[in-house]
Parts: sequence; structure tokens; C-alpha cells
Amino acid sequence: MSKTYEQINERIRSGKAVVYTAEEVIDLVRKKGVEKAAEEVDVVTTGTFGAMCSSGAFVNFGHSTPPIRMAEIRLNGVEAYGGLAAVDTYIGATSLTEDPKGGYGGAHVIEDLIAGKRIHLHAWGPGTDCYVRKDIDTYITLDDINDAYLYNPRNCYQNYAVATNTSDKTIYTYMGKLLPKMKNATFSSAGQLSPLLNDPHLATIGMGTKIFLGGGEGYVTWPGTQYKTNVEEVNGVPVAGCRTLALIGDMKQMRAEYVRGLDITGYGISLAIGVGVPIPILNEEIMERCAITDDQIFADMVDYSQNTDRPAMARYSYAQLRSGKIDYQGRTIRTSSMSSYSGARRIANELKDWIENKEFELNKPVMTFPKDVKLKKLEERRC
Amino acid sequence: MEMKFKIDFTESNVQDSVAYILVSEFDLKPNVLKAEISGDGTGIMIVSLTGEQDKLLKAEQRLKEAGFVVSELGRRIMKNEDLCFSCGACVSICPTNSIKHDPETWEVILDTSTCIACGACVNSCSRHALSLDI
Repeated sequence: MSKTYEQINERIRSGKAVVYTAEEVIDLVRKKGVEKAAEEVDVVTTGTFGAMCSSGAFVNFGHSTPPIRMAEIRLNGVEAYGGLAAVDTYIGATSLTEDPKGGYGGAHVIEDLIAGKRIHLHAWGPGTDCYVRKDIDTYITLDDINDAYLYNPRNCYQNYAVATNTSDKTIYTYMGKLLPKMKNATFSSAGQLSPLLNDPHLATIGMGTKIFLGGGEGYVTWPGTQYKTNVEEVNGVPVAGCRTLALIGDMKQMRAEYVRGLDITGYGISLAIGVGVPIPILNEEIMERCAITDDQIFADMVDYSQNTDRPAMARYSYAQLRSGKIDYQGRTIRTSSMSSYSGARRIANELKDWIENKEFELNKPVMTFPKDVKLKKLEERRC
Repeated sequence: MEMKFKIDFTESNVQDSVAYILVSEFDLKPNVLKAEISGDGTGIMIVSLTGEQDKLLKAEQRLKEAGFVVSELGRRIMKNEDLCFSCGACVSICPTNSIKHDPETWEVILDTSTCIACGACVNSCSRHALSLDI
């Protein structure tokens, strides 16, 4: 059995496409087997809704009269990059106001823009013959500005570590509040709903794959930063952070419910963004991988109170992690997710609705992603 | 009506059965939300009591006279549903398991009947959706 993108899109256009979420398809494959399910199903939708710091937005404000070449830019007091063209900027999710403990950053500016709120723009320039103005102090909304598109250098981490804390004091990390003496552990993957755990070797996901991003349409643009492939696999999926995706999408299509600024105590600002990736069921192997369940996906627990070396302490399935407690050497550790499973499910269902309602077709990637990548360390050199 | 109390035990009364007094003398229904004895022999109990108002007040007086330090928990945790996106970071922080995932929807839910308003969850929430209302 094999299908093509064109055949699947034709079925979408005629309203006949059979679409399941990555959760729903598990039962179908169990009941009918991979072969029959692969014949029946055209698309499986996935979803994830968690924190990813490597997020941000490109913005073009439009030119004022007289014009300014903005070199220093603040949006609601948050620093945006002033090293692009006159009225272009990039605001990173983790960028802060002058008060680093203010709890407001670039991610919140992005959320507020998408929510339609007025944003205070204050910018300064050197004043040149062609851009005479030296400062501007005004308010903008998403509707007022020419361009605003999210560009996230890294999203959709393919699995991630489970974090705990063996020390005597509470630590505050990007994996949340970790209580002393291993009283809790946190994890951050949508498991069986997660895009890259359903297509683990990126058979269908590559540059140009059209996706659900923050409530609108977006695209996969590139392998995400820190993309790597050399991670141990169990049941065909990696047991630690592995592949990632760089994503792009028009903020004017997005909804604030899927774009949430986060103020993570003791760590800083991050952005939670809802991502849904459709997987075309081109053959039986792709179908089989989409039927993966939480009890087949594993992640290693590590000690976040260790600053340098964090060896794996134990390995747990997402079924165990999601049960609310895990066992470590005879003691019970309570677990928390950092990524919204209910949100991931809502996204997979919404993307399914789009496809069933003929509003969303699938793209064949124009470039596939590398198969053999290792991460480099940063070396400290004198010269 | 229902009231929540924090009862502090000293080394001398840590063996006494507070629950027995509450049930047998005042016909109250206790629900122990948290109980802990520390290494020095002292302890605390957080208990939710349901019963008639005058009996609740008399029971509080009775325990105070018996040497317990009794204080009513008047604080409560508020959860702003518009801000929460149900990540679940707070779930494993709550000492009384009052914050849980709904097993069907996986939305994060706060059970105010067992919450002791200790406030531990407040700074675990990156959305500032949890706050302590005093």
C-alpha cells in the first residue's frame, strides 16, 4: 500500500479524507492492524503546546513622517533588536525589560500583539541625511503594522529529559520548580501526541511542511537549532532531546490562546506555542509509527541540581510519567508536565477539523533534513 | 458548614487523638488533609471539619483549652482560568494533591475543598494563574 501527497490532497479537496489524531489512531491500529489502517487513514494529526525559549518575531513597523532608522528599540519596555533595516526588528521571546524581575518579556509582547492589545513603541536612531529623526514614541497594534511573523529557530523538541533535584534545597529551573530530595520530577513532551515522536525519522516532515502554528497556518523552514540525530532509540524513538524544527508563521492569523508568554520563576521568560503537524499516511511504516503509545516512549531522568555532568538516573515511559508518580529505588516521586497535554490534544483536533473541512492541504517537503548530525560543544580559547 | 484548621501539637500532646475528640464530643466530620510529626516530637495537622457552626466554634475552644495551638485557615488559592493553559507544572508541587489533571480532558483542576492554601503552587506557575487570596 502506498499513497501520494497528490492523492491525499485530492481526497481532502473532495471532502473524503480520513483524518485521525495521533491519539485516536492508536485504537484503530490496535483493532484493524497496520495494513488496514494504512489503507483507511489519509492523515494523522499531532500536537504539542509547551515552552520553547528559542522563539521570536520579525516585525516591520512602517515608516513614520519624518522617517527614522531605529537603532535602539523598546516594545512595552522590552528590548528588540536594532541591527536590521530602518523599521524592521526581531523581538526574542526571552528579551527583558530593564527590570529583569518584572516578569514581562518578549514572549509577552508577542502574546499581547496577537491578543490585539496596544503596544508602546519607543525607538531611537542616530539621525542621518535620509533618516533625520532621532526618536519616536508611539503605540502600535498588530493591525497597524505591515509585517509580523513568528520565526522560531527551535521548536517541537523530539523528546526531552525528565528533571529532578537531589539537593537539599528547592531549585527553580526552566523545567519548573524542583523540590528538594527528589520530591518531584518534571517532563516536557506531549508523548504519543508529539509531532516528532510520530514521525521520528522525519519521513514526511521537512522544509516547506505546512503546519498549525499558534492557531494559524505556518511552515517548517529548516532543521531547528541543536538538531541532532545521534541519540539512543527505544521502539524507534529517541529517549532524549534529539531532532528539532525551525518554524515560521504569520502572527496576524494567530490566536492568543495558543501563544502564551511564560514567566518561569528563577529562570526567566519563555514562550509556549501551540504547534500541530499533519502526517500523511503514505505507507504502512508511517502508519505504524503514528500508532506509538505513551508506554512505548521513554525519557531519562537527570539531576538538575548538578551543574555540569547530568548522567541518566533512571528511565521512564510517558505512561508512567503521566500517571502522576514514578518509582525511583523504592521511593515515590510525584511528576508534573511542563507542556499542556490538553492543549496538544485540542491542537491535533483543530488541525483535523481544518483538513476535514477542506481548509488545509498537505505539502511535500522541498528539502529533507539531515540524517547524521552530532552536537558540538563550545570551546573556550585564548585567541 | 465547613471550616479548615491548622492544629499545632507539642511534644506533650502529640499522642492525643484530636479526631476522636472532634467526633465523639462535637459530632464533627473531620477530613485530615495533612498530618506530620517532625523529628523533635512536635507536629501539625491540617483538618477540614464539617458540622454545625456552634459545635465547630466550641470544638476550636475545647482544643485550645487542651493546649493545642489552633488557627483557622482563612486564606485560599485562586486559579485564573483565562491565564492557565493546563501545562501542569503546579501538579507535583501541591502537598495535598489538590491540583490534578482531569483524567478525561487533562485540564488542570484545583480542588478547593482539600487545598490548604499553603501557597507552594503560586511561584510554580509561569502564567501567574495561581494566587493566594488572604
